[in-house]
Amino acid sequence: MRLHKISALAGVSILAFAACSSSGASTAPSAGGGESAAPPASLGELKLGVTLPLSGGAAADGQPTLKGAQLEVDRINAAGGIGGYTIKLFPLDHAVAGKYNEQQAAQDMQTFVADEAVIGVVGPYNSAVGKVQIPISNSAGLTQCSPANTNTGLTKPEEGALDLRKDFPDRINYIRVAATDSLQGPAMAIYDYDTLGLKNLLIVDDVTTFGKGVADTFQSKFEELGGNVVLRQGAPADTTDFNGIINSQAVEASPPDGVYYGGVVTSGAGLFLKQLRQAGLDIPFTGPDGIVNGSVNDDGSLIKIAGADAAANSYGTIAAIGDFPAKAEFDAAFEEHFSADSDFKTPGAYSGPANACAVVLLEALKAAVDGGAADMAGIREAVRAYASDPANSFDTVLGPISFDENGDTTVPFISFYDVDTAAAGGADWVFKEQQSFGE
Amino acid sequence: MSAATSPAATSPRGVRSRIGAFSDRHRSTSVFFGVGLAAMALPLIVLLPPFNSFSGQGVWMDGFTIAGIFILLALGLNIVVGMSGLLDLGYAAFFAIGAYTYALAASPFTGIEISFWPMLLIGAVMAAVFGIMLGAPTLRLRGDYLAIVTLGFGEIVPITILNLSRYTEGPNGIGGITAPSIGDFRFPTTGNPWPYYLVMLGLIIVSMMLIYRLQDSRLGRSWMAVREDELAAAANGINTVTTKLLAFALGASTAGLAGVFLAAKLQTVTPNLFRFDVSFTVLAMVVLGGMGNIWGVAVGAFIIFMIQSVLLKQLNIFFDNVDVPILSDIDFLQYQFLLYGIALVGMMLLRPEGLFPSQRRKRELHTEEDADFGEHGDPMGASPE
Amino acid sequence: MTSSTVTAEARPNRFLVARRSGVGPYLFILALTVVMYFVLGPKQFVNALTIGAIYALVALGYTMVYGIIELINFAHGDVFMVGSFVSLFVLTNILGATGPAPDLATIVYQLVVTFALTMSVVGVLGVTIERFAYRPLRNAPRLAPLITAIGISFILQNVVQLIYGPSPINTPQVIPPSARVDMAGVSIGWINIFIIVTAISLMIGLQLFVSRTKVGRAMRSTASDREAASLMGVDINRTIAITFLIGSALAGAAGVVQGLYFGNITSALGFQSGLKAFTAAVLGGIGNITGAAIGGFMIGFVEVTAANFGFFVWAQAAVFMILIVTLVFRPSGLFGQQLGERA
Repeated sequence: MRLHKISALAGVSILAFAACSSSGASTAPSAGGGESAAPPASLGELKLGVTLPLSGGAAADGQPTLKGAQLEVDRINAAGGIGGYTIKLFPLDHAVAGKYNEQQAAQDMQTFVADEAVIGVVGPYNSAVGKVQIPISNSAGLTQCSPANTNTGLTKPEEGALDLRKDFPDRINYIRVAATDSLQGPAMAIYDYDTLGLKNLLIVDDVTTFGKGVADTFQSKFEELGGNVVLRQGAPADTTDFNGIINSQAVEASPPDGVYYGGVVTSGAGLFLKQLRQAGLDIPFTGPDGIVNGSVNDDGSLIKIAGADAAANSYGTIAAIGDFPAKAEFDAAFEEHFSADSDFKTPGAYSGPANACAVVLLEALKAAVDGGAADMAGIREAVRAYASDPANSFDTVLGPISFDENGDTTVPFISFYDVDTAAAGGADWVFKEQQSFGE
Repeated sequence: MSAATSPAATSPRGVRSRIGAFSDRHRSTSVFFGVGLAAMALPLIVLLPPFNSFSGQGVWMDGFTIAGIFILLALGLNIVVGMSGLLDLGYAAFFAIGAYTYALAASPFTGIEISFWPMLLIGAVMAAVFGIMLGAPTLRLRGDYLAIVTLGFGEIVPITILNLSRYTEGPNGIGGITAPSIGDFRFPTTGNPWPYYLVMLGLIIVSMMLIYRLQDSRLGRSWMAVREDELAAAANGINTVTTKLLAFALGASTAGLAGVFLAAKLQTVTPNLFRFDVSFTVLAMVVLGGMGNIWGVAVGAFIIFMIQSVLLKQLNIFFDNVDVPILSDIDFLQYQFLLYGIALVGMMLLRPEGLFPSQRRKRELHTEEDADFGEHGDPMGASPE
Repeated sequence: MTSSTVTAEARPNRFLVARRSGVGPYLFILALTVVMYFVLGPKQFVNALTIGAIYALVALGYTMVYGIIELINFAHGDVFMVGSFVSLFVLTNILGATGPAPDLATIVYQLVVTFALTMSVVGVLGVTIERFAYRPLRNAPRLAPLITAIGISFILQNVVQLIYGPSPINTPQVIPPSARVDMAGVSIGWINIFIIVTAISLMIGLQLFVSRTKVGRAMRSTASDREAASLMGVDINRTIAITFLIGSALAGAAGVVQGLYFGNITSALGFQSGLKAFTAAVLGGIGNITGAAIGGFMIGFVEVTAANFGFFVWAQAAVFMILIVTLVFRPSGLFGQQLGERA
């Protein structure tokens, strides 16, 4: 008897919630809003998927990035849509308990693939997620544009990308606007060695796809230049106590004059920096885009966790263009558009790139529609072909972008930032210079 | 589970007991038809509103396939925790072993290409071997110690996989794993969910049939004896060490099976997929579903997975649209573990036999002076339920 | 189901310092300590002692609870974590501290208030958990309270996350890390000295309490034989509650120390540190107070040594291996007595 009651109750509640909620499993931010239930693949509406970690500790990464894409979608819709279609933003959150989850990401990609109205997907943010999603999107021919993935193995055949594109190795469906770690690591190595004059480094990575990868490329370049690595250690993602490394034998024996941390702040970069300063090591703290994640006021940022004083003398790279021509305008437009939001009102490091990705995909969509594609499958393929065609150039807020035969951007930029404790709104990362590695 | 003896046998009760009696005698057939029917009905149900407004049938079935993986895991853990009373907190380790076994056997990383079908068996055996390796020295420990040891093992395995990059690709994980194929037909990654769905269905049916057989066998009864009172069981001539070892091994093999399937489905494996959250989630499924009750944990696993992937997301959307002061600010997905925690505590205090209890378990847990006691009749079980 | 039955022979009393274990383990520890000093060097040695002190304080709670009701309190690690957040609240919201205190008097004042409040609150939390989650299940099959404890662990962790968010939070370091003293040519932080002295004092206090007071005697007798103790007039419920009170209060103290030392806390603290502290308790001989204390220090040394010689990634796994190896080969730990294991 009880069994019947329980299952009835469960069934009724599911139905009740279903009846009241909107279509699609979207977790759109408050400003974007979910619309009322509409049948999928209606001719009036096409969807731009977004796959990002949007909740918990990862929200600081995902939410500003999502909004970068949203800015473009809203702008296009305000201008009348594309070819008579309105564009709907369709974000799916693959964070589980605050951290990106590959299994959920795979399921989300299956959802995107199965929804015919989805013409392309912006994301993901973490390289580990890219590894799981590319086989699925490649098999379906659905275009993915990542604003932030930096791991080389996602695009370059010699690094294993063909394994990910097993079903259709020659069909490029994954493009990215971020530079790869094969550039990011060495760029910082050169900066550390030449500009900062560091010769003996302590290198720590967070034992993830991204962190280890970028630390490896950093180390080989640094040693190639003649630098000396005092100690290279991995500190797994949930480490909270780095004193063992800081006070270790190797470090005591030959004190380093700088540190490189390969990883992201959620893996412990902030704690590491804080403990370094506590141990009296006021040496330059350098790292990749994983540590450049916001000002002293942003929850979960390196500067906030370590404290503004500890964060002084820190340097980081961003695998994207830092000072793009339209940056001031972009920032202003972003802040104005999202001024009513409860949080994440200012652009993050990857808001611009996400916006660029949206621009690329939507321009490809325009070309597809103008070119006569009418059914969903045709549109998807036309979008893919156009976006990944090396001959096409896209006018984005980051400047003109095009993609090479592997899907990598032909204008990779590495930008250098450092922490300015005296910045206007509170200690923050400020842009210093950038380097182009394009042809 | 005999036919109702109470004089005023109302017809629902009569029908239920008759079905119960039938399924007792023809276990395998009823598993086959029961699970088979449910699995055929599900793709049809999701074509109806409101389910079809969430996602298409393909996506639903993909979700069910993943749910199937958790059902297998729950069935396996049920053998260890539910039937034998051994608390295993590191179950995800065996899951990982199965997955990496297939990954190493069928990916460009090693260059070997062994077919999926024999690997199912090999993966299960590998996991069972590890189960025995873990169990042999530790099973003589008391329940609580065993729990901690298994927890430690559950942590050591992903850490080892993570650090031994040369053999496991470390944090990058192994990608490009070959999908299963029948003859020339290779299982599609996207588009057609039926191949994976049917294979998972087959795995569940076969596993359930075997587990039911085991439960009814001498080994199964030894498990329950050990669960109830190890000392008495030993005094009755049961070799408790072998019994517990077999529970461990068989439970692990089911996880290994699920692992091989996961690797074949996702075509990538990373250490991140096998952390403590997974062990905890599966444990929650077993506890909530009804420890010891085979179909109970299967249903419980399915329900919890659906809650996690569908209901909580829909709650978020619902409260996004309807403005309720505190509830609208909560991201339900983030707090699923809080909900599991509350559910576990609530369950243990109020209904430790789970949502779908086995009658025997219910009697075991409520024979002492208890508020529920009055409801359930006398302790000798003269009147069932 | 009765897995905690009284067996034919009297159960050994493991709660006290095991006099029967002899002087062997003590000599071993002494030798190990000296070796470690030379292996690690004075700075790392002090580090290890400090971290070990924190583990020891948490391990004491595990060991006391296990000794008295034979339950591994999974939630204990998270009680420690809650303690660290309570101390954060006390320091920032009640005392208004934002960093190192200006003078010695303020330091003492802030520390006393923080310790007193945190230990009380956390102690009460522990008693409440016992009363509502463990006591009803005292006669249930062993699995039930274990599972409940896991559930409580997750509840505590997530509630703290709900309130404070998932990112690490900075705590005021009342004793500044820069305040150092020169001892035999080595610069040691005052905070390290404070932590080690506090931990050892609390442990000695606990030992005296358990061995000299009436309540302590009640605890020992309940641990030894619950039914006999109740027949002798010991109020079992009250005794168990007091055990939880003290064990949790010690975890609370560890939480305060964690915040003071690292200047940073996170809701994930409970799971990792809890497991390591439990290993410490097992290593020392679960149920044995001195054992837990020494076990805690030993685990601190294991971690620091692994890190020192470049095996940081394996430090966590090493601790778990120690756990498994100890349980398999010497389940009674260093100081426990040889317990007959059930088949």
